[in-house]
Amino acid sequence: MKKIINHPDNVVSEMLMGLEKSNPDVVYFSEVEVIARKEKKTNKVGLVSGGGSGHEPAHAGYVGYGMLDAAVSGNVFASPSPDRVLKGIQEADTGAGVLLVIKNYSGDIMNFSMAKDLAEMEGLKVETVVVKDDVAVEDSTYSTGRRGIAGTVFVHKIAGAKAEKGASLKEVKETAQKTIKNVRSIGMAMTPCILPAIGKPGFNLDHNEVEIGMGIHGEPGVDRTNLKTAKEYAEIMVEKILADYDYSGSEIALMINGLGATPLMELYILNYEVTKILEDKGIKLYKTFVGNFMTSLEMSGCSITFLKLDDELKELLDFESKAPGLRV
Amino acid sequence: MKKGLNTKDVVEVLKRIAKRIEENKDYITELDAILGDGDHWANMNMGYQKIVSIEDELLKLNLADLLKKIGMTLMSTIGGSSGVLYGVAFITAHKSLIDVDEIDELKIYEVLNSGLNAMMERGNAKPGDKTMIDTLYHGVKAYKESLDNKEKFETAINKMVKSAEEGMKSTKDMEAAKGRAFYRNDKGVGHIDPGAVTMYYQLEELAQYILM
Repeated sequence: MKKIINHPDNVVSEMLMGLEKSNPDVVYFSEVEVIARKEKKTNKVGLVSGGGSGHEPAHAGYVGYGMLDAAVSGNVFASPSPDRVLKGIQEADTGAGVLLVIKNYSGDIMNFSMAKDLAEMEGLKVETVVVKDDVAVEDSTYSTGRRGIAGTVFVHKIAGAKAEKGASLKEVKETAQKTIKNVRSIGMAMTPCILPAIGKPGFNLDHNEVEIGMGIHGEPGVDRTNLKTAKEYAEIMVEKILADYDYSGSEIALMINGLGATPLMELYILNYEVTKILEDKGIKLYKTFVGNFMTSLEMSGCSITFLKLDDELKELLDFESKAPGLRV
Repeated sequence: MKKGLNTKDVVEVLKRIAKRIEENKDYITELDAILGDGDHWANMNMGYQKIVSIEDELLKLNLADLLKKIGMTLMSTIGGSSGVLYGVAFITAHKSLIDVDEIDELKIYEVLNSGLNAMMERGNAKPGDKTMIDTLYHGVKAYKESLDNKEKFETAINKMVKSAEEGMKSTKDMEAAKGRAFYRNDKGVGHIDPGAVTMYYQLEELAQYILM
């Protein structure tokens, strides 16, 4: 394992200390691993998200004007505990209530719901939304259901803008839910990542193999296939998204997301191929984001996210964001 | 053979569990790399090492406060699904020990059973979902049956461990309904759940200490 770290046990707190040094707008709370905005408006709905670490810039990089008020980090790939999330809620609350944006993983659901219970016992008003954008996994009301991956960043962006404009907790929640309803993603991985505490890869892929539908923690995908061209990856992945949600005739925001070790060169190539398919299919592109938004340490691979827009979502997507992870 | 457990005994059991988990890094990590994302051992180990590091503080607590402190520590240190579940288990179980000086036969049942119920409720999980519940549920059930049949304490403890082990092994053929293994096409069939194994280590260390 080659990593720029001091000790595997300290990677999360030391990362957040470094992030705080790089961003004068935020403050870091040690022990609970919370990054929160320094400047607080009163009576603005607070937006809190978080999850396991290793997905940078998610989630601490999305704290800032126009996006999150606080982000809560767990250990690498493990959900933050309820006491940490509670601190995030307390920091984000300015009297108008707090919305928790949760990715659909059983650990996140349990820890965030328990934090909600604890916050409500303190008299705080808390609502939750659950992002489940990954089309690789079947949706079902009876099971854990599909995962929340890069589409979560669009939810942060749009709900953040809505809250910044002074909407009520109910309104911010409704807009977040509309975004969740219209967002779909699919990922693929080419090489695994190494958890600092473990020191070796969490899964193996042959040198000529890729895995389609891989989750952001390296959990298995839906299909293993031989190496293909960028054009073929684009076709396979777009087809999986379109099989799940009909974007024909709509105007969309597109996110081409790198998992941590994929050069921008390759993401742009993929973006070119995806954009051509969209043109052929008559799906109108409103805005494109290419970069590393929801990573998996140094995993190589990517994900593609589509968000169907209406006038409200377009306006909120264009609203200013000063969060370092996604400046608009 | 111990008749009952006081604070010192519980702390001793925790230290033994910490050692057992520490020693089984490769096995647990390998299981979790197949079924999940490979961090179960690292998180459990961090949780129990933290417990060991606050030994002096723990030794000063009465049994109820001890369990609450263990729950809070595991919850915030382990994180993830295991953290919140162990957290609620110990924190809920502490109520069985208010004003109690010694965990006797019956109290062992009450503590384990209230922990089990808290885990099932918070995790919305039941036996058969391929989780650590499968280990604990069968262990607790066998122990209770043995107590109800007025069998000897030693027999009850032995039956608890044996059933817990069977519960753990039974996760091998189950389809996952919870957690990361759920996302595999084969739902993890053919592999023992790593959470069921670490749960087994804890019950087995408890039993071995009592039987000593």
